[in-house]
Amino acid sequence: MMGTGPMIELNAVAVDYLVQRHGFRSIKAYLTSFGSERLLERKRILHDVHLSISRGECFGIIGRNGSGKSTLLRLLAGIMEPTEGSARIHGRVAPMLALGVGLEPELSGWENVRLCRLLMGHGTGDESGVNDYVRTFSGLTEKELSMQVKRFSTGMMARLGFAIATATDPEILLIDEVLAVGDVAFQQQCYQRIGELKHGGCTIVFVTHFLSEIQRICDRAACMENGTIVKVGSTHEVGVHYHGLLGIPV
Amino acid sequence: MSGPALPIASTRLTRANWPVVRAVAWRNVRLRYKSSLLGFVWTLLNPLLFLLIFLLIFSEAFPQVPNYPVFALSGLIFWSFFSTTSAHIMGALVENSAVLRSLAVPPMVFPLGQLLAGLFNLGMSFLPFAVILHFFGRVPHLTDLLVIPIVLCYAAFIMGLSVALAALNVYFRDIGILWNALLPAFFYITPIAYPADLIPDRLRWIVELNPLYHFIAAFRTVLVDGSAPQVGTWWILVGLAVVATVFGSSLYKVLRPGFIANY
Repeated sequence: MMGTGPMIELNAVAVDYLVQRHGFRSIKAYLTSFGSERLLERKRILHDVHLSISRGECFGIIGRNGSGKSTLLRLLAGIMEPTEGSARIHGRVAPMLALGVGLEPELSGWENVRLCRLLMGHGTGDESGVNDYVRTFSGLTEKELSMQVKRFSTGMMARLGFAIATATDPEILLIDEVLAVGDVAFQQQCYQRIGELKHGGCTIVFVTHFLSEIQRICDRAACMENGTIVKVGSTHEVGVHYHGLLGIPV
Repeated sequence: MSGPALPIASTRLTRANWPVVRAVAWRNVRLRYKSSLLGFVWTLLNPLLFLLIFLLIFSEAFPQVPNYPVFALSGLIFWSFFSTTSAHIMGALVENSAVLRSLAVPPMVFPLGQLLAGLFNLGMSFLPFAVILHFFGRVPHLTDLLVIPIVLCYAAFIMGLSVALAALNVYFRDIGILWNALLPAFFYITPIAYPADLIPDRLRWIVELNPLYHFIAAFRTVLVDGSAPQVGTWWILVGLAVVATVFGSSLYKVLRPGFIANY
């Protein structure tokens, strides 16, 4: 199944959100119309998105708040479906759209490793390998990992979250500005692991506001604005375009 | 054009999601009494406390009921299964919104996990129930096993109804507030603490329209009277289960595309 072809292909993709209309009048309108669409308003979040990312590429996506970056990642993660167009993802995706999501404060570290990996769609095979990796990467002691996660510090949670998400080599890794948490040492460690995964042939899509992060690890990048991709190119070209949008001299 | 387009299939529930459902159900069982001292014992203690209150208040009031504790408890256990499970399923989508917003998990995993946790707790509460039944002089019958198919219909009914509430609750949190206000009302409308014959004949139709009445009455036929429900009753129970399931799943299907923007 793995060829040299693109891992991710988006063709004329559009995504709509159904947003609830507020107010009593709309409920009345709904009750008198007997339809579901009237209660909900259709809002176009992404439109005309064309994107092709090759195997083993590390691809950066930059853009202002509300430009559609997170929605694009959700589409790639399989959380949403395209309303129009086609989205083809040719591999197993490990989404890291928020660190530590799914961690249950009342359960222990180890219980969370099991639960979160299931929620992320990984099987439970090779548990000892996963456990070894979690122990090494997170730097947490056996005693700490047996503690309830609610007693963890933010940094410990971030370490555990990152370790859970990257324990088995994914084919596609999606990262949404999650590395902003944690200290510099943790960030270094994350970049190192991302580098390893990239070396192993993993395709990475990396979303951020910060150009420096993209230039540090990405091969190619895209800039988003108003729900679509306005520029694709080298990290330098995209950086110039992004600064142009912000009105900042390069 | 090789390989499947994964996102299309990934948020629909399939057999492959079973381990996730099980893990979520187990988490719910663990969490329900996690930080309490008595922990799991509460599952057993809760109906007993209720029973005690009932005995103090009502047993003198209904002298026509021959074995009031057995009568009351057989209603209470199934009532509390309904009230807690429906409330938990109703909140299941909204409470797991962080996960649903950032991982490709079929949303239905969470309501199902709550249903399974509820069934597990119900099973556990049968233990002290059996002891009490024995204490009040009831001998086990083979017909007691009929509780199982009734529970299955009951669970399907609760699931269908609560999934509809859960899906609506994503858009309008009023549903959750309203449901919690309505539950005590249902408790008093349904003949749980009192026998159904107390209702005057002209108001009888209200009782007959109440789905819960039919389930509770069937449980009592088996557990209190020690006999099998009539064929007509079975048709009603299966019918309620089917109607609720069809209603819940169709509403869920209609509302699901908008979940992501409204969690």
